[in-house]
Amino acid sequence: MEKIAITGIGVVAPSGIGRRQFWANIKAGRSFVKEITRFDSSKYPAHIAGQIDDLEKYSRVSERLLKKIDTFSHMALIASELALEDAGIDIKKEDPNLVGIFLGNALGGWMYAETELRDLYIEGRQGVSPYMASAWFPAAPQGQVSIYYGIKGFSKTVVADRASSLMAIGYARKTLAKNKLSMILAGGMEAPVTPYALLCCNTYGSLSQNNSAPEKAYRPFDRKRDGFVIGEGAGIMVMESLERAKKRQGKISAIISGYATNCDGIDRINPDSSGAQLARAIKMALLEAELKPEDIDYISLDGLAVDIWDKSEVSAIKSVFGKQAQNIPASCPKSMFGNLLGASGALDLIIAILAMEHDLVPPTINLDEPDPNGLNYIRQDAKEHKIDKAMIISRGRGGINSVLVVEKA
Amino acid sequence: MEIKAKVKEVLVNLLRVRPEELKDDAKLYDSIGVDSTEMVEAVIALEKAFGTKLGSKEIGKFSTINDIEKVIQSKISGK
Repeated sequence: MEKIAITGIGVVAPSGIGRRQFWANIKAGRSFVKEITRFDSSKYPAHIAGQIDDLEKYSRVSERLLKKIDTFSHMALIASELALEDAGIDIKKEDPNLVGIFLGNALGGWMYAETELRDLYIEGRQGVSPYMASAWFPAAPQGQVSIYYGIKGFSKTVVADRASSLMAIGYARKTLAKNKLSMILAGGMEAPVTPYALLCCNTYGSLSQNNSAPEKAYRPFDRKRDGFVIGEGAGIMVMESLERAKKRQGKISAIISGYATNCDGIDRINPDSSGAQLARAIKMALLEAELKPEDIDYISLDGLAVDIWDKSEVSAIKSVFGKQAQNIPASCPKSMFGNLLGASGALDLIIAILAMEHDLVPPTINLDEPDPNGLNYIRQDAKEHKIDKAMIISRGRGGINSVLVVEKA
Repeated sequence: MEIKAKVKEVLVNLLRVRPEELKDDAKLYDSIGVDSTEMVEAVIALEKAFGTKLGSKEIGKFSTINDIEKVIQSKISGK
């Protein structure tokens, strides 16, 4: 398969907007999980999250456009702009028919939808903004980014719960490898800090209710875990063939060398407790990357901080990596800013790329007492370690497994 | 306030465009690049502002400010 490179990174996260600010906070192990202040969430069992409060400061999106779009599209527009800037690409000079957008998200744009649905029941149909139909649905960010840049190539929105964005990146890679497009903006965005989306996440029953100590709440692989914390943001990357990236003398951040996805086929919510299918996905991704388990220098963990998810993830890793599982550094940095659901895989990939760039493994915070044991958990502080090859694991509700392998250029 | 000034005020506030962008005899599509969804919103806002029903066939993105003024004028005087 033709080698596909990542040449630009755009990150919009509670830990920072733009790669420099984001990485400074990630490597320092700072938590950005706080009590939700956007609306009164005090009656919800879980009312903490990773929020972004200063989005407008980074945005060049006009007021006229802002009133037509939901926050998740706004985040996607900012992340796309940052990614293109980072890649040094002037999109006006590209053939628009050969540029695509592959984005993933799980929920859609609920802040917009909720506001308009409230108006529907109070004022009747005339009270609803005509933009409602085009603002809330999961493919809205793909549409808005395409309009903003005049992109006209084959594009796709992937909805696969928390695995959405890593899956979108996997599809983007395959599409580029078939030479269907010259470049793709790939990644994901999610904006779940809204009254209804928070309610749904609460109903799911897997959110941490440690509201009195938000920074300590998200504790993947820790004995005292009680669920995950939601976060909002976007992670979008510029992807192109390695050949093209070299020809235009672009900065090559990483090469995607393997990807695999499959399903557990067991339960509508929970994964297979044995982790058997996740293990198979890991093997398939390694096979495609032509690597042995011991070649991997860093494992980015999904880490939902729910018993069955954490245990099955560790089982899967142990079954593929054997004794090497105790040596390869592994961490779940999203413990610092929350789980971005459909955008989580894209953020994990961005962190892995930055970790490779700096040869520094970012930590899992709040991991005091590992459970289950058996992995080389990097916790509390970042650790210097040469990383040439990294693996990212992203999983979705109902047993969706996605695994991606990246390498230094 | 005369009808034309009020129409412009509604459109400026609603679509966040600059007043000087609205030309009396230019189609809204040409002057401010209005799209069909914006026109739906504009018709609703104009109906509220003038207290009269306006059909979407009477006012569209290819209408000018002068066209809209005429339609509203006839509606109001026909009351």
